[in-house]
Order: sequence, then C-alpha cells, then structure tokens
Amino acid sequence: MSLLGRAASTAPGTDRSAVRRRRSALAFGALLLAVPLAAALDLVAGRALSVGEAWQAFTGGAVDLTARHLVWEVRLPRALVALGAGAALGLAGLILQAAMRNPLAAPEVTGVTPGAVFGAVAATGVGLADWASPVAVVVSAVAGGCGGAGLLWLMTGRTRSDPAQMAVHGVLVSAALSGLTAVTLLAAPGELGSVVQWMVGTTEARTWQHWNLLWPWALFWGAAACLTAGPLMLLRCGERVAEAAGLVPARTRGLALLCAVALTAGAVASVGALGFVGLVVPHAALALFGADLRLTLPGAALAGAVAVCGADAVAQLASRAATAWGAEHLSVPVGAVTTCAGAAVLLFVARRHAVQP
Amino acid sequence: MSELIGEPESATNPAPDAPAPGPAAALDIDRVSFGYPGRRVLDEVSLRVRPGEFVALVGLNGCGKSTLLRLAAGVLRPESGRVSVDGADMTRISRRDAARKVALLHQSAPAVPGLTVRQLVRQGRYAARGPLGMLRVGDDAVTVRAMRDVGVEEWADRPVEALSGGERQRVRLALALAQDTPVLLLDEPTTYLDLRHQLEVLRLVARLRDERRLTVLMVLHDLDMAARFAERLVALRNGRVAAEGPPDQVVTPALLREVFGVEGRVGRDPEHGWPVCYPDRPAPIEIDNGFH
Repeated sequence: MSLLGRAASTAPGTDRSAVRRRRSALAFGALLLAVPLAAALDLVAGRALSVGEAWQAFTGGAVDLTARHLVWEVRLPRALVALGAGAALGLAGLILQAAMRNPLAAPEVTGVTPGAVFGAVAATGVGLADWASPVAVVVSAVAGGCGGAGLLWLMTGRTRSDPAQMAVHGVLVSAALSGLTAVTLLAAPGELGSVVQWMVGTTEARTWQHWNLLWPWALFWGAAACLTAGPLMLLRCGERVAEAAGLVPARTRGLALLCAVALTAGAVASVGALGFVGLVVPHAALALFGADLRLTLPGAALAGAVAVCGADAVAQLASRAATAWGAEHLSVPVGAVTTCAGAAVLLFVARRHAVQP
Repeated sequence: MSELIGEPESATNPAPDAPAPGPAAALDIDRVSFGYPGRRVLDEVSLRVRPGEFVALVGLNGCGKSTLLRLAAGVLRPESGRVSVDGADMTRISRRDAARKVALLHQSAPAVPGLTVRQLVRQGRYAARGPLGMLRVGDDAVTVRAMRDVGVEEWADRPVEALSGGERQRVRLALALAQDTPVLLLDEPTTYLDLRHQLEVLRLVARLRDERRLTVLMVLHDLDMAARFAERLVALRNGRVAAEGPPDQVVTPALLREVFGVEGRVGRDPEHGWPVCYPDRPAPIEIDNGFH
C-alpha cells in the first residue's frame, strides 16, 4: 500500500475517534450544566411564590420569613432529593440493562421497585413505620427492594443466566408484589391514604432528613457501580465472551445487581415508585455517550438527575397551572410526569428502531 | 514500506510496553472426561499440542469438539483428568490467570449495540489489567497491535454491528489476540463466512501463528481446510480420539466413513499435495450419538 493511500485511509478513522470523543465531552458538559439549571427551575417552579420572590429568598435577599422557609426547608430538599433519586434510578437502570443484556430490564420490572414499595407500605400498614419518620420508611423500602430481587433470584433458579427467563420472571415477581401492595392497601386503607400518591412517585414534603439519608447511600453505591464499569462492559458483550476474557460472569452479575438493587431501593424509599426513569434514561445515556460504560455510567446518573428534577419542575408548573384554572387542591405528582413522558419517549424509540438487546 | 514511514507505532518498531512474543507454550490435555447428567461428552481424551504447533480438531456435530476447547481454556472443569498449559494446571488457577494463558474464540457472539471495534478489542485486556485497570483511559500497545495484526485498525471507531461477517470475525480474532496469550483456541472461526473470507481468516491465523509463535488448536468443520492449514489433525468420534496425525496420513476413506459417516474418496492437490476429500454419500452405518 502506498504511503498516500495509507494516510488517506487512516485519516477518517482518527477523525471519527476525535469527533466521537468531542461529542461525548460536549454531551457530558451539557448535562453537567443542565443539573443546576434543572435544580434552579425546580426551585422557582412551585406555587405560592413568584419566580422573583423565590430567587430572592434563595440568594438571601428576602426578608419574608415564610418565603425563606419555603425555599430553604421545602423546595431545596425537594429539588436535591429529586436529583439524587433520579441519578440513582438512571444508574440502576443502566446496570440492570447491561448486566442482564436486556434493553427492557428496569427496576420496575425486576421486582426491585415493587418490592421496595411493598416493604414501605407493609411496614406502614403494621405500624412499624410512618411518614413522619423517613428512617423507618427508608429501611423498610431497602429491605423490601432486596427482598423483591431476592425473590426473583430464587424463582429463576438454574435459568438465572438466561436473560429472557430473567425478564419473564421479573415481570411476574413485580406483578405479584404489586398485588400484595394492593392487598395491604385494601386491608388498612385509613392508615395509608398518603401512600397512594407515593406509589406513583412524588417529591412532595421531602425534608432535609430525606436528603441526608439519600445522598450517602446513593453516593456509596453509585461510586461502587461506576467502579464496576470495566467488568460490566465485558458482561454486556455476552456471557461466553466475558468468560473467555477472564471474567467470572455470575460473580460480576451478582455484584452489579446488588448495586442496582441498593440504588433503586434508596431512590424508591425517598421518592416512591417513579415510573420509566430506570427504563428510558439508560437508553438516552447509551445514545449520547456510546457503549463505553466508563463514561456512560456517570452519564446515566447525570441524565437521570436532570430528567427527574426537570420532571419535578414540570409537575410543579402543571400544579401551578391547575391552580390558575381553579383546581387549588390538585397537585401533579412527579411520577405522573415521568410516566407520561417516559411512555411517549419509549413509544417514539420503539417506532423508530426495533429495540435490540 | 508504509510501516516504516507511515506510522510511529509499527510492527517493526513495537511500542515499549508491547511484550515481545514469549516462548511458545504446550497445551496438554491428559485423559480428560466430561459429561452432563445422562450424557457422556468426552471419555478419557488425551491430546498434546506442542509449542507453536497448529492442530485442527475435526468430527461430527456433537462429538465433543467445542466441549474439549472449553475444557482446554479452563472455562469448564473436567470430571477427571487434567488440562495444563506449560505445566500449570488450568483448574487450579483463577479464571483471570487462565485467560492470560489461553484465549478462546467462540463460534459466535451476540451483537452489542453501539460497541466500537476499539472498545470490543480492548475487552481482551481484562485478564491482564483487572477490573480497576480497565478504567484506565487509552489503548495500550497490545490492543493496538492486535487490531493491526488482523488489519482492522482503520475501522477502530466504527460500530462492530456495521461490519460485514468476515470483518466482524477478524475483529473477534483481534479480541482474542488482545489477551496476549501463548495458546489460541478457535471454535469454528470460519462458520458463516464465504469462501474468500474463510481463506482470509485461516491464512491470518497461520500467519499470526508464525509471527507470534502461538500454539493453535482449532475446531474446523471443513475437512479440506483443516487438512490444508493444520500440521496435525485430531478426529473425535463419540467423545474419543478416533484418529490423529499429519493430514496426509489421517485423511483417508476410512476416516470419512468412521468419523464422518460418509462414503467417499480422497485425492491429492496436484500442486501442493495436501489431501482433498470427495464425499459421495452418507455411509449406511448407525452413528452412536453417545446417549446412555
């Protein structure tokens, strides 16, 4: 091959590599910028305060104590919890999809989310926890989430390494756990009135206590998940390829699933069963950052944070609009927004491309 | 020519941390038995591949060829017997250590959406780098060398899905080479490929065997290709070694009948002398499928 021919044929390769890297860096930067933007929007979007008042209270310029309290004790923890829960759900979804090699794997169809919901509802139903004490709710949700995943683990048995079997059993376990939650709700309806909204996913009335419980948990498991990026990427290449390259697939998958369960349970404990975040955000992250999980895992965390916090802002704006229309007691939960938006995105994606494993 | 001028890191001027090919290693399979409940797959199979030798494993579907490769790679554990590479028992070392001695290329691999050639080939470094080492940024010299060895570095940033079957097989070969092992096991690397690409892949393996002093054990369906490229053939039948030796001694009408269940004739390539098979019809013998 002549020197000229060589140069001409290698140039596009290096160009493409540079373009890809630049695009990823740009997307990462944009997401990093979008996080404070979404948080700011969430802070000012709520009812009762105008944008200017909210901003003044946040920057410390306001003298109105109510406004200050509203921004610092209600809206800020709410926005932070939304960010944290979104990051945890985005990460958990990507881990599940990579580890199970299944583009439709998500916390809500692997027994984790329904398990966490059931744990929290059951604990509240029998009086072990109530909504004034986030610690008990968090603990019971984490226990329930692990229980749901454990149930799936036991049910799949020997077929565990087969992603299709795992997905089918995941849907079954999730349906069964949701049924149990419904039964519990019917048995003790009075106690659990406020739970219903939480089952859709809500960020109403989150306090600093919620945030203080969420962030160390999410940070720890998020960091652990990002450190497994290498093995997880190999696992995504297929069981046999991973095995031949020196990985013990079962061990890696177990560790990855543990991270996913812990992250999901933490998120569910703090904001409830937010639908579609864990399913759609990983697809967005893979489309933005490519298959290199070293970048895509943190990317999914950022995208999840932006998605949930943005959805919360939209939910608050919708509540504001509802107030303007006269429905003063209607407040739109963030879960309603993520579910609608997620379903729409999924429909769009499914129509454009056939979903691939 | 282009390698001397064109690129700073060329095959003639290896990057500092690309290890030179080490001494070739021997693969020793000693009276290995393996089975699943109710089905014996391998029965006391012994096979020794000498350092730097190119051996082809032939036989009918289900005769235990792929299982033998997986045992040789240490992915499966034998029920009895021993697999060793350069004297090291493959069952006593960790999966990662085993993957540093033996690379195994499976017949097929699932598609991974969005994965580029570079990213896939890089996965071969897991055994050497470990889980945290994989987080390091940038290609190491071995990855680059593996891509260049099979001639895929020009497509390094293309998605693997976008490549043709033959190109994809070369990329997968690069993944195995990136493990930088002295022993290379290939499970039907030419399946699904057209004649041209079959020849290309086999010539590539033969060339790399010489250049990198690899010990190669390959399962091949095509007896003619096996006879042409391998120094030695090992024929398996019902989990036992039925015949072994240099191709011109092993490939006979009797082998076709007993191992492949085919009546046929064997001729010689007029130019190079390697055996060429002319299968005529299925032999009227019953083939024991190994069920008990």
